[in-house]
Amino acid sequence: MGDVFLPAAEIHKRVTELGAAITADYSDREPLLVGVLRPAVVFVADLSRTVGIPHALDFVSLAGYGRALGGHSHVRLMKDLDAPVGGRDVVICDLTVDTGLTLNYLVGHLRLRDPASVVACILLDRPYRRLVDDLPVRYVGFTVPDEFYVGYGFDLDQRYRGLPDIRVVKTR
Amino acid sequence: MNQAELEVAKLLDYYGIRWEYEPRSFVLETDEQGRVVEAMTPDFYLPDQDLYLEVTTMKQSLVTRKNRKIRKLRERYPNLNVKLFYKRDIERLEGKYGLDLAS
Repeated sequence: MGDVFLPAAEIHKRVTELGAAITADYSDREPLLVGVLRPAVVFVADLSRTVGIPHALDFVSLAGYGRALGGHSHVRLMKDLDAPVGGRDVVICDLTVDTGLTLNYLVGHLRLRDPASVVACILLDRPYRRLVDDLPVRYVGFTVPDEFYVGYGFDLDQRYRGLPDIRVVKTR
Repeated sequence: MNQAELEVAKLLDYYGIRWEYEPRSFVLETDEQGRVVEAMTPDFYLPDQDLYLEVTTMKQSLVTRKNRKIRKLRERYPNLNVKLFYKRDIERLEGKYGLDLAS
């Protein structure tokens, strides 16, 4: 299934560095890591185990454009957070950001609930595709080319999320 | 508005991004008499992002002419924030991909 773009060992090394950065930045606080379902599950599970301070985990799921439009003309949460975020330091963890439209919506949505802070931790960034620039992306794993990836949470028709490496699939 | 532009308008609405359609034309070239010989009207303006968007349905590898125009636009208006929005961007957000599964 495609060539290996990022081997598991390299991902692990970088995720460990991201965890260390979060640990240092929030040393006197207890952040809430918010994973975006389903892609970020693998990333958040690994990241959480490298964050060396007490923290909580929660997840959201958004209805993506097209895939789950179902007559709805506006983005909405399919699964909301289980815990309140008022006064909390929120770290949104997602696998990738390109246009920034989804992250922009999520950040705006969470800010309405008066958290102490909201930042994002992204494994793969494609900044040249950005439409929304003023996003609070504080942690970035890798800046990557505009390719289609599978593995480590990236799927193809819901398959291959569990592959340990990130692979590139050729597009027509 | 063509089909691709309509799709982008729907997409921006979906994510709650404010937009204006072709609100301004930019002069790219004038002749010796000062007459406009080349101009460009980006398809969308996103006021909250202060960003102009030009939509193309062509594959990324086939947009040389549009890229040339965008480059000219940036040279002439260096403070202008303008981007090309590719078919691929729309497809990615729709969850549709032209994949070669044999790879």
